[in-house]
Amino acid sequence: MLRIAQKEELQKMIDGFLADYEVIGPRELPGKGIFYQPITNAQDLYLGERFAIEPVKKFFFRPSEYLFEGGLKEGSEFLEGIPLAQNKRMIIGVRPCEARGLALLDKIFNTEYKDEAYVSLREKTILVGLSCQAPGKDCFCTSIGGSPVQARGMDALIFSAGSKYVIEIITDKGKDIFDTCPKEPDKEEIKAWESLKEKSNAALRKKIKIPESLDNIFESGYWGKVSSACISCGVCTYLCPTCHCFDLVDEERKKLRCYDGCAFSDFTLEASGGNPRPTKMERYRQRVFHKFDYFKKNFGEHLCVGCGRCIRHCPVKMNIAEIVDQAPV
Amino acid sequence: MSEELKNKAKELLTNKKVDLIIGYQRAADGVLAAPCFIDSQDDAEKLIWDSYCVYNLASYLKDFPAKRKGIVVKVCDLKSITVLLQENQVKREELLIIAASCPGVIDEKRLNPLDQQAQEIVFAGKCKTCKTITPAYYDILINEPQKNDKLSEIGQDEYEPVRKLEAKSIEERFKFWESEFSRCIRCYACRQICPLCYCPKCVAEQITPGYFSKGVNLEGNLSWNITRAMHLAGRCIDCGECERACPVGIPLRDINKKIEKEIKELFKYEAGLSVEQKPLLSCFDKSDPEDFIK
Repeated sequence: MLRIAQKEELQKMIDGFLADYEVIGPRELPGKGIFYQPITNAQDLYLGERFAIEPVKKFFFRPSEYLFEGGLKEGSEFLEGIPLAQNKRMIIGVRPCEARGLALLDKIFNTEYKDEAYVSLREKTILVGLSCQAPGKDCFCTSIGGSPVQARGMDALIFSAGSKYVIEIITDKGKDIFDTCPKEPDKEEIKAWESLKEKSNAALRKKIKIPESLDNIFESGYWGKVSSACISCGVCTYLCPTCHCFDLVDEERKKLRCYDGCAFSDFTLEASGGNPRPTKMERYRQRVFHKFDYFKKNFGEHLCVGCGRCIRHCPVKMNIAEIVDQAPV
Repeated sequence: MSEELKNKAKELLTNKKVDLIIGYQRAADGVLAAPCFIDSQDDAEKLIWDSYCVYNLASYLKDFPAKRKGIVVKVCDLKSITVLLQENQVKREELLIIAASCPGVIDEKRLNPLDQQAQEIVFAGKCKTCKTITPAYYDILINEPQKNDKLSEIGQDEYEPVRKLEAKSIEERFKFWESEFSRCIRCYACRQICPLCYCPKCVAEQITPGYFSKGVNLEGNLSWNITRAMHLAGRCIDCGECERACPVGIPLRDINKKIEKEIKELFKYEAGLSVEQKPLLSCFDKSDPEDFIK
């Protein structure tokens, strides 16, 4: 289902959403970059081509959150869950790759095992996407099942078309919020929208090949070579829309869950002092295998959406796309 | 200059003067640079040297213990090697220092994020006030150092950002840092990239006892960032790698420079100037100011 609105009309609609929803969207912090933050009026939104540094993952699988509190209170033991999300939220300006990342995270947190904190945040949130028309040079979503115009994981997807926005409505949730926008695009406008989609797809130039399986190069010297520049920080994992490893820590009487990443040297450190992944080689190989081998075997698709964040923000320019593309299978 | 470097590298590897050379190669994007580790003559062809060689490679020295390492350094990077030598973290006899005349390096964050092609080179903040041209010591010097007129404008105050912050009231200052640190994602890129952050177990990872929250919250973020800076007091040589590596743009150099300035004023001490000078916080001098003892 398609709708069309003048840019000012969409702004008015967004201002209207603010009455019922906590609205989150990309904002530009001068000199720092684009960050998803709550907005107070539609003017705050940055709906240009630049990507937010952090993906929207953090609004569902949070960088750190208290899960429950337990201990002794007045002589008797207690265990209390931390209250789940109550308020309705809307995130506007989500990129196709990030929304797809959430669809992949659903396979972890919302299938067989249901993570209450994650599921409640997912249920309370409406996702309104924004298509990419000038993908960055590190983007490679089309090589991994995505595209700059894909709507998977979203409730609605907005396309910027000159002085207007074309709104593709995907779910009932999306239909509800855009029922104030009755105008449907005419034949000409639909044609223009279709050619815009083609152009966006063509603008994504980086293509990589992903091996069917990495099984037979697990022991290859390749991993030692390509991981030598890695500094073992958490940039790639924390900024990845699909990385979901975490650590559980006790702080006072609360259980804290916070991001953790396979690049850190203490990620697999055992209480005995042993470490099955003692060097960067084992750790980096794990990251590549989890994304491009294990996950596909377990869940049917790769755990990467080709957003390029890990490449763009790596302090030493590690490039997972090149590394996978050139893997000596 | 890259040619001279390649030839030297080939010579060093052929004559078995070094086991490997830590240097720079062109990144996969064809524009930027990436660290590389060269152990064969053929690979030496990859070496490059230009304004895109931003990284301080000294943080890789610990990855190759007991090997004879050639390392390509800029003047500022060399200072961090000086501190590592001072603190007995590397052996001079295992090092072959290839000092390259520095044209000033780019400010990566100012590149157009959509294509990352610099239209016109914008130099990193540290380069604009860099006063040192000649490296204090080296084994091989690639090209005679020359002063780049575009850099080091005479009279430019390296502490200008610090003074601006100092002029704020305590409340304003706290608000400023609270807002900056609120973006910290605790990825520890600042620590991992730092050549002088080499503790086998970082305070941030200790859980018995845990010194501060591992959570991404004001307490945890403030504690982490201040602890990091304080642990580098008298050691940080302002290579600026922490600020460059920070994905969310926290102005970490401003904290480092503030501490550097205090130390300069109080103790007339500057880190990384010579291997022989005693580390500031490991020695005592009768003339040290003690006004703070009340």
